[in-house]
Amino acid sequence: MAYHNQYRPPHYNSAPPDQAFLWNIFQRVDKDRSGAISDTELQQALSNGTWTPFNPVTVRSIISMFDRENKGGVTFNEFAGVWKYITDWQNIFRTYDRDNSGLIDKNELKQALTGFGYRLSDQFYNTLIEKFDRQKRSQVAFDDFIQCCIVLQRLTDVFRRYDTDQDGWIQVSYEQYLSMVFNVV
Amino acid sequence: MNFQGYGAPAAGGYPGGFPGQQQDPLYGYFTAVAGQDGQISAEELQACLTQANFSGGYRPFNIETCRLMISMLDRDMSCSMGFNEFKELWAVLSGWKQHFMSIDRDMSGTVDPQEMSQAVSSMGYRLSPQAMNCVIKRYSSNGKISFDDYVACCVKLRSLTDVFRKRDQAQQGVATFQYDDFIQCTMSI
Repeated sequence: MAYHNQYRPPHYNSAPPDQAFLWNIFQRVDKDRSGAISDTELQQALSNGTWTPFNPVTVRSIISMFDRENKGGVTFNEFAGVWKYITDWQNIFRTYDRDNSGLIDKNELKQALTGFGYRLSDQFYNTLIEKFDRQKRSQVAFDDFIQCCIVLQRLTDVFRRYDTDQDGWIQVSYEQYLSMVFNVV
Repeated sequence: MNFQGYGAPAAGGYPGGFPGQQQDPLYGYFTAVAGQDGQISAEELQACLTQANFSGGYRPFNIETCRLMISMLDRDMSCSMGFNEFKELWAVLSGWKQHFMSIDRDMSGTVDPQEMSQAVSSMGYRLSPQAMNCVIKRYSSNGKISFDDYVACCVKLRSLTDVFRKRDQAQQGVATFQYDDFIQCTMSI
């Protein structure tokens, strides 16, 4: 069952970046010198390759992944995680953007998600692109690609929690189903 | 807008379209945006509803809500909507709108969580307080729920309920999901 082994995007065993290098970046991003990088500051520092602002929903997801105290921003200690997370995604994106267009089209998305272990119908990829493509070019930009993968991951995580015998099947009540998915999709 | 004038379409015989289609005022709004293929996308739906002034005194629907509406009725996964679905959508939306207006007595364009909870129950959904909280939390901004969010919530509830029902073979309120199917049907909302 693919869903057991998969799911984490391939690991890039990149060596941890130099602290001085990270600090340099952190200071530049933390424009108001508050000591923490906010959603807005992170959004301004990131590029999705389309000259439009980075998806704020994705920014929020990333910050909340690394913001240990729910304070709405990341300190320098937490920032290393953010940096690595984004760098890993950049590497993955570049790997699957085979024609180097800066966008991932349906076939490239299929390769990527199949590579991560998902088994999804061809028709469903149309739905995914329609759902996540904010540029309206029938392809996904870097930020939307991350967003798509994050949602797939969240759904997988919630499914796994209910699949106690790990056989790839769950049985849930109506209420459980709604509580599981309402906030993810 | 009141559409009680229509009744069932007249029986057979009109070439190239279903009976009564041409007289239907909704058809006018629809064809104005649909183009040759007779299908509308989320953007076109948004334009259509705005032009028909569906939201009335409320702000027009945002694009994400329109996308949700398309997928609620999108049986062939085409990400677009034909005229029949549009009519069905209009009827459903009108019901929800009337309901919202009956709660939003001060015409502020928003309702509070308590009122939202009552609205959801009166639509026939039986949810526990926890599930209800999940639903409401997703759609409140500053403790209030706007008309657009309320509709988005109704659409999602309806879509998810349909998904669930199809997998509840025994109609006992318990559904079985296989993983790949779970991902796809839930993400298709």
